[in-house]
Amino acid sequence: MINFIIGFLSIVSTYGVYLLSKKVHQKWDFTFTFPVILSTVIIILILLVMRIPYEIYMIGGKWINELLGVAVVALAYPLYQQRENLKKLALPIISGTLIGAAVGVSTGTLFAKVMGFEDILIHSLSPKSVTAPVAMSVADTVGGLPTLAVVFVMIAGFGGVFLKPIIYKVCRINHVVGKGVGIGSASHAIGTASALESSLLEGSVSTIAMVVSAVVVSLITPGLVNVLL
Amino acid sequence: MLKLSKILLHIIFLYCIYLLGNWIVEIFNLIIPGSVLGMIILFVLLLTNVIKVTWIEEGTKFVVDNLAFFFIPATVGIINYFDLFVGKGMFLILIVLFSTTLVIITSGLTSQWIMCRKERKHD
Repeated sequence: MINFIIGFLSIVSTYGVYLLSKKVHQKWDFTFTFPVILSTVIIILILLVMRIPYEIYMIGGKWINELLGVAVVALAYPLYQQRENLKKLALPIISGTLIGAAVGVSTGTLFAKVMGFEDILIHSLSPKSVTAPVAMSVADTVGGLPTLAVVFVMIAGFGGVFLKPIIYKVCRINHVVGKGVGIGSASHAIGTASALESSLLEGSVSTIAMVVSAVVVSLITPGLVNVLL
Repeated sequence: MLKLSKILLHIIFLYCIYLLGNWIVEIFNLIIPGSVLGMIILFVLLLTNVIKVTWIEEGTKFVVDNLAFFFIPATVGIINYFDLFVGKGMFLILIVLFSTTLVIITSGLTSQWIMCRKERKHD
């Protein structure tokens, strides 16, 4: 019974903090006010101040975790909405995304290996280019830690959005399809949100790239990591 | 209230597809996560009109719009790994940024190159 109350409280307060963060982000649109970052910081502060161990918070948190699978299945909907663009631009989008997925997994894995990091860290870093719920599940499959995987996913997401203008300029990526595929393959949902701010088409292309990349990365990561390590 | 129960019903439906994906992955011993297979199954069912998009629209839209909420408990887990990013661990951040840059360049240039060739052919 006590577990039920703790679980219920942690779910309700997580949702409350999330709604509050969303409101704050609507008002002040900065990187650090992104709902996921702000909510995480607030909840960590609450846990630290009230001396609640993570394991206790997770009595409720694990029920939210359980819904991550649902979140991934739901991504079929934006892909379905973009089906016309997918049909029209299948070749350029899918080729670019395939190459980006392979480059992302292999360079991340190789650099971390060369620098002498432990396997558990490398395995958590490998799937960083895809959306968090998929990266967590891939990290888990190859022997990494889902929690760390999410942290690397966030760095790839915000880092990509931050570096994107310079990269586009230096490498002369100026076609809307090139831009959308680049940011969707590298920075998943966070990149897609920024692509949507540029244009509707760039956002649509980024959505397709992000979903296709999620499928490709989950298929190639176990094999690639095996070969490279 | 009606909208809330609709959303809940749709989420239960998505959960069933997720379980179906997991089940297929287990039976055939596949490497793909059950959730990703579930997404592919739902996409195919929508394309072939077996499932009408209106049957799942509200709940699915709610989940996609609030994607960040679902991984907050996982990111809070960083609380147990704070010491990882001091010292040598800082390089992990640089590795991710460098690798991300390479992904944007290679994938972006590949699609752009194919697009430009396609557009030239049409002229």
